[in-house]
Amino acid sequence: MPTPPGRRAPRRRGRRPAIIISAAAYLITFLVVLPILWITLLSFQQSDTILSDPFALDSLTLDNYRNALETLPLVRMYANTIIIAVASVTVGTAVSFMVSFALTRMVFRRRRTQSFLRFYLLSGLAVPVYVLLFPVYRLDLALGIYGTYLAVVIPYIAVSIPFNTLLLTGFLRDFPSELEEAAIMDGAGLFRICWSVVLPAMRPILATIVIFNVVYVFNEFPFVSILINDPDLATVSLAVSRFQGQYTVDYGGMMAAATLVLLPQLAIYAVFQRHVIAGLTAGAVKG
Amino acid sequence: MPGQNPSWSRRLRRPVGVGLAVTAILSLAACSSDADEGGKTTITLSMQNADVKTADPATWAIVEAFEDANPDVDVEVSGQPVAEHLQSLSIAAQSDTLPDVFWVYKANAEEMLEGDRLMDLSPVLDELGILDRLPDSTVANYTADGKVFGAPYQGLLTGLWVNSKVLADNGLSMPKTFDDLLAVARALDAKGVVTISNGASQSAFSVWQFLVWLDRFGFEDKADGLLDGSEKWDNPDFIRMYEHIAELRDAGAFSSNVSTQTYQQAVDQFLQGKAAFLDSGVWAASAIQESKVAPDVDFWRGPEFSDGVGEQNIVMNVASAPLVVAEKVAEDDAKLDAVKDFLEFYYSDEGQQILVDNGQPPVTDYEPKLDPVKQSVLASAIDEAQADDVTSPESQPDLLFPVDVSNAIYDSIYGVIQDQLSPSEAAALVQKALDNQ
Amino acid sequence: MVWVSSPWKIALMVFPAFILFTAFFIYPVVYAGGYSLTDAAGFSGAEFVGLDNYLALAEDSFFRRSVTNTLLILVLSVTFLVPASFGLALLMQQRVRAAGALRALLFGPAIVAPILVGLVWVFILDPRVGLLNHLLEPLGVPPVQWIGSDSLAPYSIAVVFIWASVGFAMTIFYAGLRLLPAEVMEASSLDGASGWQQLRYVTIPMMRETIGIVSLLLITNVFKIFELVYMLTGGGPVHSSETLVSYMYFVTFTDQRYGSGMTIAMVVFVIGALTSLAYLALSRRGRLA
Repeated sequence: MPTPPGRRAPRRRGRRPAIIISAAAYLITFLVVLPILWITLLSFQQSDTILSDPFALDSLTLDNYRNALETLPLVRMYANTIIIAVASVTVGTAVSFMVSFALTRMVFRRRRTQSFLRFYLLSGLAVPVYVLLFPVYRLDLALGIYGTYLAVVIPYIAVSIPFNTLLLTGFLRDFPSELEEAAIMDGAGLFRICWSVVLPAMRPILATIVIFNVVYVFNEFPFVSILINDPDLATVSLAVSRFQGQYTVDYGGMMAAATLVLLPQLAIYAVFQRHVIAGLTAGAVKG
Repeated sequence: MPGQNPSWSRRLRRPVGVGLAVTAILSLAACSSDADEGGKTTITLSMQNADVKTADPATWAIVEAFEDANPDVDVEVSGQPVAEHLQSLSIAAQSDTLPDVFWVYKANAEEMLEGDRLMDLSPVLDELGILDRLPDSTVANYTADGKVFGAPYQGLLTGLWVNSKVLADNGLSMPKTFDDLLAVARALDAKGVVTISNGASQSAFSVWQFLVWLDRFGFEDKADGLLDGSEKWDNPDFIRMYEHIAELRDAGAFSSNVSTQTYQQAVDQFLQGKAAFLDSGVWAASAIQESKVAPDVDFWRGPEFSDGVGEQNIVMNVASAPLVVAEKVAEDDAKLDAVKDFLEFYYSDEGQQILVDNGQPPVTDYEPKLDPVKQSVLASAIDEAQADDVTSPESQPDLLFPVDVSNAIYDSIYGVIQDQLSPSEAAALVQKALDNQ
Repeated sequence: MVWVSSPWKIALMVFPAFILFTAFFIYPVVYAGGYSLTDAAGFSGAEFVGLDNYLALAEDSFFRRSVTNTLLILVLSVTFLVPASFGLALLMQQRVRAAGALRALLFGPAIVAPILVGLVWVFILDPRVGLLNHLLEPLGVPPVQWIGSDSLAPYSIAVVFIWASVGFAMTIFYAGLRLLPAEVMEASSLDGASGWQQLRYVTIPMMRETIGIVSLLLITNVFKIFELVYMLTGGGPVHSSETLVSYMYFVTFTDQRYGSGMTIAMVVFVIGALTSLAYLALSRRGRLA
């Protein structure tokens, strides 16, 4: 991750502060990373050593990982999370794109309807999702989808619509309409305009939206904790809460399981970090 | 550990494990269309644990043995954590899709009985001769409008496990009264030893011993009044009880990290020989049996109070919750027969011995066979429960109330233990929850 | 484009999102609002009780405690986080070897699931097994009840929240700083402004929008703190470390007092709506990009 050259504000001051500045930057970064290093160390300790002498380096073991892998169906959990993420992010992005296209590109008989609709969808940004937990739970029961993937997929789609619409309508407004007009001249229909003209040009913003939503689905806990009650459907963020009951005394196993959930996430982050950072901060910087 | 602890997981009302489980809605849907394959009758059994096999091995073993003995009956076991289990039942009760046999709290069972959703079991239990073998107090507890709506699921025998070696090492003898216990706490605190091991984190319900104390301050007589509002929880007797908890706390009886340790860690503390007493129940017997403290461990019903109210020589040995049968079972003869067979097996000596083999006391008058060495810990608890002159209340106090009142009772006790609430504030907290009903 | 916009085509494009959003977002909010006016609990049916739940909430000491805790965490985090992450962003602008890697590492906690953050910090703050007390022990400090006592628990939650948010806030500041016009910065440097003067009179005023946005984002996030409490303290001892959302969760799902729980949800909703509207107003007024 190279820093782009020539963007740093020029500095005139001497060498001495530079060393102090570097030292401070490294120290702070170390402190932020420390907790994650700590649980990684604990994950190699025997459970009783964690209580008595957590710094000991002579009794490291892989047993915790063996235990955790035996107890937690991690593959299953990752598969579930990916299924839920793919389903909800695909549909969520698609429907958000469709409505955003309509709101910015299509001509409504009454403009009022158009701006009201946008405001209606964006109002969701103001609602903390926790308010939805219990009602959605009842709704899932009533629709008979409680205990299926749909129980969380549909709420995830609904929850993603306001933010997606915010970004997409913002982008589409600034997007030049010449291409579309040319396509219309060529006799392209609505579907072809969306699919082959507008969508390809929106790749960067779509990537941002997809990353933002995927991170959300991977880390989301309150909804899954209430709406998923079948161990066969459990997601990775649920796995984490499961350690508590299962490993209450087995600290080592608990730490190993936590590390096993964390590491893949951190690895993916390391590969895509520029996009991930862009995705997660998009709402703030782009407004 | 959940394996040995059906009882504590059953009391686990915090939705710690929210999420685990076979979905009741689906299983309910499945069971309502119960197909008899090859002449087999299927009955559904719905329990309060997500994973019945590991969390409630006694029930699992009984079902297995029953199916072996009755090849023509298939028992479909499902389960969810308590909160979800109750939620699903309330939905199922409204749509008349209740499972055939299920675990439910007594208070909920009474509501269902009123709505004609439950079978009156008295003729069945009488016909099978089970009624005579159950303690009268249990039958009375599960009777409403002259109907017996449930049969006891498992026994709830709670008390303090005692590590007599810790006492002896510190030159102390076994306490009998509260003042003795207070003196023991002071002496142990001076030596840096924990007297009573408790853990409030994620397990607010782990206050069994203090629920017994309520009964030593007249709970039994006040219960009806508390339920109908003519009696207050913040009465002088209960406040006195909370004051005694505060005295124990001030004497240093509780672990300094009682708020951050979980019930499991409290057990661990006791198993490591670092505490003289453990507030728990029979379900901990297996874990204690397997630990190095096993030879030194005894079971104690708890202290007697000179300023208590009513009978002091009591032990909490009650039915934890009822197993009930859905009304619609009576409409299907094959099903009714299968359920009868199941109940007969559950309360047979064979069934009760399976309970005992899985660390549970019997719920009938069956005299269990215990291995004096391999089951010494469980034996000590059963001995204490059957000692001369000792009696048991009808029910554990918290089990008579809706879930929010129970939570308030637990909070009030831990509030005093952790010095968060004064005795009168603690009592007022429960009264407030009662006022909300 | 008028011909593309036949009513049925518009409907086709709008309806999927509209229906999903209405059914699973707007309807639940209305439903919660309705429930907050009833005494629904446990197995029994719901009866309309008007504003009783709201009035009862005012009397509920646990609820009041959860409000003060949330506010305490809010004040602590925002007063510390905004300057700290801003300072960190300035630091990251300096000539530091591998600054890009450092920025990536600092952002790391933002992608860790909150539930995992809570778990990790249990093993730092736990009085018995935590890293912090292990480090303090050789210095002769007796075990401190970072979590588990009512006095320190909210502060500990604030510290963990700060840990999880600092890299995120820093990144937004950093992005904002890079968007500052280089000529202005250069000019002020050449004018002989000291580093401090430049910061005080040029950088901070130009960053006002970003500072506002970061503050509002953090405020919104504080009102969402749930998993940290759930893992670190379980709200205890005796509900003394609950935040608004964790207490709502307890009342709704543990106590099964659905009416009261939804009342707290509505309070959370109103607060959340107000902060978000302020955020939207601010970000619309001056777009950064």
